[in-house]
Amino acid sequence: MTLATDKSTDVPPRLWWNRPAFLPSPSTLRQAIHTIGLGLPALLVLALLWEVAPRLGWINAIFFPPLSQVLAALGDMIASGLLARHIGISLERAAVGFLLAVVVAIPLGLLMGRYSLFEKLSDFLVQTLRNTSQFALLPVFILVLGIGEASKIAITFYAAVFFLLINTIVGVKSVDPLHIKAARSMGTSDWDLFRKVILPSAVPSIVAGARLGVKSSLFSVIAAEMLAAQSGIGYLIQNASLMLETDRMYAGILTLTVIGFLLNYALVAFEAQATRWRASEDKGLA
Amino acid sequence: MNRIAISDVRKTFQLKPGQSVVIDGHASDRIPVLSGVDLDIRKGEFITLVGPSGSGKSVLLDIIAGLTEPSSGFAAIDGHKVTRPHQETAYVFQQYALFPWRTALQNVEYPLEVRGVGRAARRVKAQHFLSLFGLTGFEDRYPSQLSGGMQQRVAIARALSTDPEVLLMDEPFAALDAQTRDILQSELLRIWEQIKTTVVFVTHSIDEAIFLADRIVVMTARPARVKESIDVDLPRPRDIEIRNSAAFNAYRARVWDALREEVRKAQQDWALASAYNA
Repeated sequence: MTLATDKSTDVPPRLWWNRPAFLPSPSTLRQAIHTIGLGLPALLVLALLWEVAPRLGWINAIFFPPLSQVLAALGDMIASGLLARHIGISLERAAVGFLLAVVVAIPLGLLMGRYSLFEKLSDFLVQTLRNTSQFALLPVFILVLGIGEASKIAITFYAAVFFLLINTIVGVKSVDPLHIKAARSMGTSDWDLFRKVILPSAVPSIVAGARLGVKSSLFSVIAAEMLAAQSGIGYLIQNASLMLETDRMYAGILTLTVIGFLLNYALVAFEAQATRWRASEDKGLA
Repeated sequence: MNRIAISDVRKTFQLKPGQSVVIDGHASDRIPVLSGVDLDIRKGEFITLVGPSGSGKSVLLDIIAGLTEPSSGFAAIDGHKVTRPHQETAYVFQQYALFPWRTALQNVEYPLEVRGVGRAARRVKAQHFLSLFGLTGFEDRYPSQLSGGMQQRVAIARALSTDPEVLLMDEPFAALDAQTRDILQSELLRIWEQIKTTVVFVTHSIDEAIFLADRIVVMTARPARVKESIDVDLPRPRDIEIRNSAAFNAYRARVWDALREEVRKAQQDWALASAYNA
């Protein structure tokens, strides 16, 4: 059989080596270097100003100690292990609340997304709770649960649970009906349909919700620690501020910034890995 | 012996409140799609189903697959009425319907997995069917990393992995370019010659219908019945060159003759419907 196959447009997309999703592709890396190269000067100017302005008496050095002094305080806090301990406590609180939210929100969201009666019964309640700020509820948590760990975990749970719930529902509802039909035609049971078709279809949406939820949990625990705690990075910042140890205060704030950066990168990488089956950016490269 | 028996199958769809269509000058909120389809399909027979658009060919496949219930009448496989998806039936869709989060290999393993076949056994089986379609080396690719033709090969491999008695195919090659379509038709025939499963294949292409079939079933415009059954007496195995033969040309004329009137009616039907809605 001879066929003119050369005119066929039916060729698979070309793949580079099997790059794990947490590593950037060559084009992303080039782009990142470009972005940093252009963005870095502004940051350096700010750092320079921070160093020079208090030294020249442009601003009060008590409120704005020079950057070098802040970094020195940061160094001391790292060396003494103080910083690591408080970071650990804050992250632990955020993680416990967040994981509780995952355990509650994903099964609930699967049910709400799949069974419309269940959604109708619970939707109004969820919408009401969702629009009540976790910060407004902090006094309630403290009153009911005390100023110990329970109230911190409650606020981080509350901060994450609705991101996860809403995104799980959206994920379930966006299941391709053709995938359901195909699964049914292959004799898939209801339970397998949930496990092997609906849940994986919803994963990209759930993971996106989780990314928002993790950040929200972390921010909320910092706020809670500032109001009522004896430990954690929020407490550290608030306490340093009250003692007018502003170098330590700024050291705490900078730490939070770095944690935010790293967490975001880790979450984006996790998201890419969990959804690596989606059409990748490599597809466009020829 | 008959593998599939379709007996006086009727299907009427109820429209949603507020929607209506005009049928023979009367407004109605019910659309009859199938009106008494009778068809017996022998074991190992390759049937192609042609008919105008919207004539309910896919609905008929859904009924044989056990995905839709007929309003009256029944479809039976090996003498048993179909009421839900049958273990011995496999279905291939126009839009492949692969699970995008599974690799090619995992997709082919899927029906074996839900049937409880062990990990090692289903892997061997899936690799075998992928290799039949020349997809060795592509096992670990996700569907988004495959071409359209490769995706449909994976989908057919998935359908065949359970050694089905009945293979239902709903315009499986319609979304592919002409060359890939030709290649896949030949590949399908090559594999079918080995396994001789019973195939019901819906298509809009007359050439495809003739090239593949033992028998072409021409459906009428909606509401559909079987208009004509045309036995295709061309030698097998068939080469693509057969399409240039005089015999093939004669079939082409015959199928088109049977279809022409129905396509005209279907178009009138749609023209009427759109005039009413306007």
